[in-house]
Amino acid sequence: MRMILRILNVCVVVSLVVAAAYVYEIKFESTLRAERVAKMGGDIRRERDAIAALRAEWATLDNPARIQGLVRRHLPLRPAEATQYDQLDRLPERPPVIVQPPPVDAIAAVINSPDFNPLTGSVLSQTERR
Amino acid sequence: MSAIEANAPNVAAVPAVVSAEPWRRRAMRTLLYGNVDRNAKARARVGLAILAFAAVYTVIAARLVMFAVAPESHFVRRGVVRDAVATARPDILDRDGLILATDVRAPSLFAEPRKIIDVDEATELLTAVLPDLDATELRERLASKRGFVWLKREITPKQRQEIYRLGLPGVGFLAENKRVYPNSAEVSHLIGHVNIDNQGIAGMEKWVDGHGLQALHLAGLATDRLQKPIELAVDLRVQHALRDELIFAATKYKVKAAAGLVSDVNTGEIVAMVSLPDYDPNNPKQANDPTRINRLTTGVFELGSTFKALTIAMALDAGKITLNSSFDARVPLRYGRFAIHDYHAQHRVLTVPEIFTYSSNIGTARIALAMGVEHHKWFLRKMGQLDRLRTELPESAEPLVPKRWGELNTVTIAFGHGLSVAPLQAVEGINALVNGGLLIPPTFLKRTAEEARALATQVVKPSTSDKMRYLMRLNAEKGSARQADVPGYYVGGKTGTSEKVVNGRYSKTKVLNTFTAILPADKPRYQLLIMLDEPQALPETHGFTTSGWNAVPTAGKVIARIAPMLGVLPRFDLPPADQLILAKVRQ
Repeated sequence: MRMILRILNVCVVVSLVVAAAYVYEIKFESTLRAERVAKMGGDIRRERDAIAALRAEWATLDNPARIQGLVRRHLPLRPAEATQYDQLDRLPERPPVIVQPPPVDAIAAVINSPDFNPLTGSVLSQTERR
Repeated sequence: MSAIEANAPNVAAVPAVVSAEPWRRRAMRTLLYGNVDRNAKARARVGLAILAFAAVYTVIAARLVMFAVAPESHFVRRGVVRDAVATARPDILDRDGLILATDVRAPSLFAEPRKIIDVDEATELLTAVLPDLDATELRERLASKRGFVWLKREITPKQRQEIYRLGLPGVGFLAENKRVYPNSAEVSHLIGHVNIDNQGIAGMEKWVDGHGLQALHLAGLATDRLQKPIELAVDLRVQHALRDELIFAATKYKVKAAAGLVSDVNTGEIVAMVSLPDYDPNNPKQANDPTRINRLTTGVFELGSTFKALTIAMALDAGKITLNSSFDARVPLRYGRFAIHDYHAQHRVLTVPEIFTYSSNIGTARIALAMGVEHHKWFLRKMGQLDRLRTELPESAEPLVPKRWGELNTVTIAFGHGLSVAPLQAVEGINALVNGGLLIPPTFLKRTAEEARALATQVVKPSTSDKMRYLMRLNAEKGSARQADVPGYYVGGKTGTSEKVVNGRYSKTKVLNTFTAILPADKPRYQLLIMLDEPQALPETHGFTTSGWNAVPTAGKVIARIAPMLGVLPRFDLPPADQLILAKVRQ
């Protein structure tokens, strides 16, 4: 009876130590992860702020008044007139192709024909073999 | 302690149970420890130990619960730059998604005066980095007993770094959202601006606050920038083209003020709205200048001949006149001691289209008199010209309606004098005249044609609308709007030149010119309003200051630029208005 109690005691003590170690491990891990989450949250926010700042800068650079000033200074462009616009369906038909198709190779045509039966000097024709 | 006291009566109650030890020892113990039972004492000690441990474990458990409830309390305070209170605002975009207003982060400098050790040293060091800080005021603030004071809002990252390096205790930074308007003055009146705490105080920014954002701020939920952006109906490119041409016209004709508005006839959306002089929303101090008000919504004006369109539409819609009716304009119309003259006097009997194209005051006045005062009033009220027009913009103005409206008032209001309305109101009315007769409340937000139809009220018959389109187009072919007839866009329009009241009398030299254009006139999609305040006569206008010489050519230039952006396809070789529009009416 005493022996059993003693073994039980030892078991409980061991399991207690294991449990404590396990809990510590989990706690440690979770702390690390929480810190990582917080850091990433900070990173994401910083990135978003940076994106917002860049978007604002882009919009400033893309401002029509600025583009117009640049165009007037550097390019010979003028505003398009009404006559320069048209609709796609009013485009004329595509003109017929006037380029001739490539000429047929006369020799290749003869060779490729199914009843091509060449006679050469070294090889006897089928009639001569018989 | 209480456990021992609780056990004490037990000890006294059972003294005689255990007495197996020899008396000498017993006497000895009694001398040493007093006459107390040993077992009872041991039990009390164990009880005390149990209690102490229980207390310790309770404290540990409670602390664990506290950690679980506030898990990351020690992460928040770690960063140097902390988040400011909820001030994030949603982005505002134009109809194509271009940014009109957005938030960027800027650090702000604050101090906690109670934590500052040496006020003089801190003042000296801070003014060295931020020279625009007032030293005496700064010292006063730092010496105060308050827990928190702002020192400077929105400093640069470089200044932040320098102050950080000073290593002053009790001085810190908060990252605040700062509103920026990348297009500066381009959309100023429409979009409004915010105050230093990022709260909207004018224009659409104020509307945003009134529609849920303020509640979010109060709940502290609006710190995130992931709020849904707000899409306006305005088209930034059209807005720019309109503003560019208006600035050009303003310098050319040396006007006091200029304004322009493009609205979608079928949805009531306002695609562009410019009122010069305007201001830069990034620097909203200029907005307090009374000459920089938004003339289109906040100002009321006598719009002159533009109102003739309403008068003629009223008579056509009632069936009292037709396009072939004629009115006597041979002599000025005498009313009491007043005489109504024509500017382009023809001295003959004019038909209704002629009254419109020659802009005859006499003819329009006779038409209005034929309809009667009550009908005139009823019609203008139905067209929304007599009541304050409210839009999303917080600024609006009440029209100046004569208190006692007699026949003389009807005579003058018929050609646009004696009734002052906000120009946006007139735009709403003219839209209804040309879009098939639907009065649609104007909006600065995106709206589909179906939504607009659900909000609309039928105010004139579709056939009246067709006739008005014809008259407007005729005016661009033969009348005062010829200079706005940009080839390909089939423009129609009505000019208006109204004399301004100076010292209680109508001035001959100071005029307010308007021009209302519709394009394309056979099936209108957009209306353009141009308004020039006190344009000066130039050699190329041959000394004239009427609308046809300044507002109309300006509108022509604007139309040539904005029509392609608005997707209005140019069509050439269209027949004149009598064949294209009038034939449809006669069928």
